[in-house]
Amino acid sequence: MAARQSSARFWSGLISAYGQELVVFGCIVVMFVVVGTYNPRFLNNTNLVTIFSGNAYIAVAAIGMSLVIITGNIDVSVGSLIGVLATVAGTLVVNGAPVWVSWLVPVIVGMAINTVLGLLVAYLRIPAIVASLGMLSILKGGLITATGGKWITGMPEGFFLAQQRWLGVPTPIWFMVILTVLAAYWMRVFPAGRTFYAVGGNAEAARAAGIDPRRTCVFAFTLHGLFAGVAAVLFSTQLQVIQSTVPPNLELTVITASVIGGVSILGGTGTVIGSTLAAILFGCLGSAMVFLNVSAYWLRAVLGLLILATVLADMARRSRYQSAATA
Amino acid sequence: MTKNLLVRHETILAALLALALVVLTTQSSHFFTVENLLNQCRLMAEMGIVGLGMTFIIVTGGIDLSVGSILGLVAILLGVFWKNVGLPLPVAIVLAIASGSLAGLFNGFIITRFNVPPLIATLATLALYRGLAEGISESHSVRGYPDWFYVLGQGDVWGIPTQLWVFLALAIVAIFILGVTPFGRGIYAIGSNAVAARFSGISVKRSLLSIYAASGFLASIAGVIFVSRVSTTRSDMGTGLELDVITAVVLGGTSIFGGRGTIVGTLLGLILMQALKSGLLLAGVKGDGTIMAIGLMLIGSVIVSNLFRMNTDG
Amino acid sequence: MLKKALLASATLLLAVGVAHSATWTGGDDQPTNPLACDATPPTVAAKPYDGGVPTNPPDRKGKPIKVVDVPKLIGIGYFDATSKGIAEAAKELGNVDAKTDGPTKANIDEQVTFIDNYITSGVDGILFAANDPVAISPVLKKALSKGINVVGYDANSQPDARQWFINQSPFNGIAKSLIDNMAKEAGEDAGVAIVTSTFTTPNQARWIAEMSTYAAKCHPKLQFLETVEAQEDNNLSFSQATTLINKYGDKVKGIFGMTSVATPASAEAVTQAGKCGKIAVIGLATPNAMKPYVAKDCVKSVVLWNPIDLGYAAMEVLRATADGTLKPGSTSVKAGRLGELAVINGSEILLGAPFVFTKDNIDKFNF
Repeated sequence: MAARQSSARFWSGLISAYGQELVVFGCIVVMFVVVGTYNPRFLNNTNLVTIFSGNAYIAVAAIGMSLVIITGNIDVSVGSLIGVLATVAGTLVVNGAPVWVSWLVPVIVGMAINTVLGLLVAYLRIPAIVASLGMLSILKGGLITATGGKWITGMPEGFFLAQQRWLGVPTPIWFMVILTVLAAYWMRVFPAGRTFYAVGGNAEAARAAGIDPRRTCVFAFTLHGLFAGVAAVLFSTQLQVIQSTVPPNLELTVITASVIGGVSILGGTGTVIGSTLAAILFGCLGSAMVFLNVSAYWLRAVLGLLILATVLADMARRSRYQSAATA
Repeated sequence: MTKNLLVRHETILAALLALALVVLTTQSSHFFTVENLLNQCRLMAEMGIVGLGMTFIIVTGGIDLSVGSILGLVAILLGVFWKNVGLPLPVAIVLAIASGSLAGLFNGFIITRFNVPPLIATLATLALYRGLAEGISESHSVRGYPDWFYVLGQGDVWGIPTQLWVFLALAIVAIFILGVTPFGRGIYAIGSNAVAARFSGISVKRSLLSIYAASGFLASIAGVIFVSRVSTTRSDMGTGLELDVITAVVLGGTSIFGGRGTIVGTLLGLILMQALKSGLLLAGVKGDGTIMAIGLMLIGSVIVSNLFRMNTDG
Repeated sequence: MLKKALLASATLLLAVGVAHSATWTGGDDQPTNPLACDATPPTVAAKPYDGGVPTNPPDRKGKPIKVVDVPKLIGIGYFDATSKGIAEAAKELGNVDAKTDGPTKANIDEQVTFIDNYITSGVDGILFAANDPVAISPVLKKALSKGINVVGYDANSQPDARQWFINQSPFNGIAKSLIDNMAKEAGEDAGVAIVTSTFTTPNQARWIAEMSTYAAKCHPKLQFLETVEAQEDNNLSFSQATTLINKYGDKVKGIFGMTSVATPASAEAVTQAGKCGKIAVIGLATPNAMKPYVAKDCVKSVVLWNPIDLGYAAMEVLRATADGTLKPGSTSVKAGRLGELAVINGSEILLGAPFVFTKDNIDKFNF
């Protein structure tokens, strides 16, 4: 009797803590069932592997974005940043640098650029959306200036990290899973990680508790740069050509993945597991639409509706908890 | 008191604008001519009209990312109502603008009824409205409008571009509402402290609904002007508009946290951005350089404004 | 409650979408003109000049001129190549100052603004590749009214908005070349899919329309499975192509890449799916991006005109127009190292037959 009560409490505790993540996971399962019934080829090994490994870079970038959003900020320049870092990787390797250098340097450059962004936000008190809007323009314009708009081709075979497989599983999937688990664990367990939640939830209270919100904010941005760098390497090593432009609306996709995954734009809550699941959901949705023969014209409308439905579901769930908590 | 006036963001911006105009004029003789200035006003009218609505929204601490998609949707609906449904063009225009306003109202509804943060709500409707535009149009363009329609986007009235008259009229109304009326004061109050605003009797929900609907309305007008200017409809019209408009509004001194900002500031920000785009091109700088310059200017202006404010705050 | 309503409408839209199924191939709705099934050259009817005329242009004969080139967008290899061709011609001519500037994404808003601002800056000539034929026409007519010479290439505007248009190859000629090559490589009854940029891009829509009527006429057993959009993005093209391969399995024997971005991405998708040789990839592309696939025999032929030649011809034609050597009513124009180019369709200048890059010749090109 007592055991049943405590196990019920355990489950309801789990659901309330990971509610949104479970919702997203549930959506993925539903989608697989629906599309798989309509066209079983959707569930093919090759198809699933393609979807996961092709969208892994978005999930990795979303980890970094989630960190920034949890601390109460935002970054709309991540798309341009990934474009710049991809070009850095390609240019290095095409000009003779060793392959591992061309993988490492973008990560370092990403951390450097985003640290500057973090400093602008934390110490010069420029609102994050403004600072990152400005950074977006600087990076976008700078990329075209530096490359002259040319593509990069002719990378050596060893460069293509994203096409390799370790133990039969494509490397992007490894990166996505390992980084997600590491980040989630670190944020929950290590004090340094928990300060992100503290600062995002209530910066003043955090300061009173001895945490320096500014240092935490910069740290979040620096880590975000690291993940953006890894995402850029995965992105640039997938294909034989690196364009000097980035996928349209990449930053919005990454932000949406973070938010749908449960990270609140108000700061203070959410996990990176949610953002990874949401990135997977979106990657699958695009492919699912094609498999379901949805007319290409209505694809984006359906996507928009689904985002809206998920957001509303999340808000409804939150308000239910708030009223339950105050009851 | 004069010191306060001097260090207001708008004054700093005006000084920056004057400086930019002087520098750019020295770089090219084509820049500071009546013809170019009027032409630039024509080109910036659409962004300006949308910026008026965006100012109200950002002053309340919100944001509207869906304005570009509403513009595209209204453009498509205009063509569809006129050609496919067969309505007379003036009726089609009115109906299209009404639809766009409804779209804005829907934004407001989600935000006020469900407490969805404006960033997320309009992020979702950005995709939804653009998707509707693509789906409804099935990528067909509607062209071949009667000549009188093109006067709006391509013609002049008494030597001044038609859309500039529309923009000026709307701007004056906006300045009046935000700066003078109780409604406008309520907007500032909501931006400073929404809870306190509600307790002082301001109907927060109704105000927010109105400004988001207004944003949709203004985006619709901009859409009609745009169709008139390029004489066709496409479902990808207006992509990227929101970021440009937000840049102009923030450049103009409106704080993204809410509670501060003026229409005049937005106008100055707009003019500065447009002047840069035009002047730099005339000075030989290519598109990429201009994009970078605007980004630097945005960050620089906020830093300068913060510095001044930190000094006066003591 | 609202949640349920939303989910209901999502399902409704999905139903609508499913009803609107993917048999549609992506062509536009204008009349098509398929060529003969064999190698009979097309009959070209003579048409009177239908291009625009600049108002009181100054006498530019022999004088140095300033020219700006505003392509659909900058940042892709194709327009990088046309820009190279323009620069090459400018250097050869010696009295032209040419530069390329344009938007970073392919939409009309920014392209129109660029052109408008360059008109103000006092250029003598404008070269363009239009994102939309109707939307670009008002600003081009404004250029003409200021006495500026206007010549288009790659993607046309309305005829009276420019003086001449360099037509790389007639739409039906490209369609014939693509379909014939596909039928040869994939078989007469193959299932084929198309990866295009967007359904609203005029050139692509035109080609697809011509392709479907030509195929219906000369290769009726070819099945068009589906057309997908991939904008001008590499990654998206790759993932769309891969989705197609996964969805249709063995049914798809050929993929058409309708842009210079889609074709290498589709070839990569085929390679990574391990279906080299089982799925033919035919399309428009620049040689550099295709070299790895042609070398591996994954792709046998790449159809394109030479974009460097296209840009080169455009520049030469503009110079000839400014000098007055090319006027309404001329039947051909001398274009530097390309020789004499014929005038067709009233105010279009034909570059030539599509060029097919194969394993034998692809290494000679570097763009």
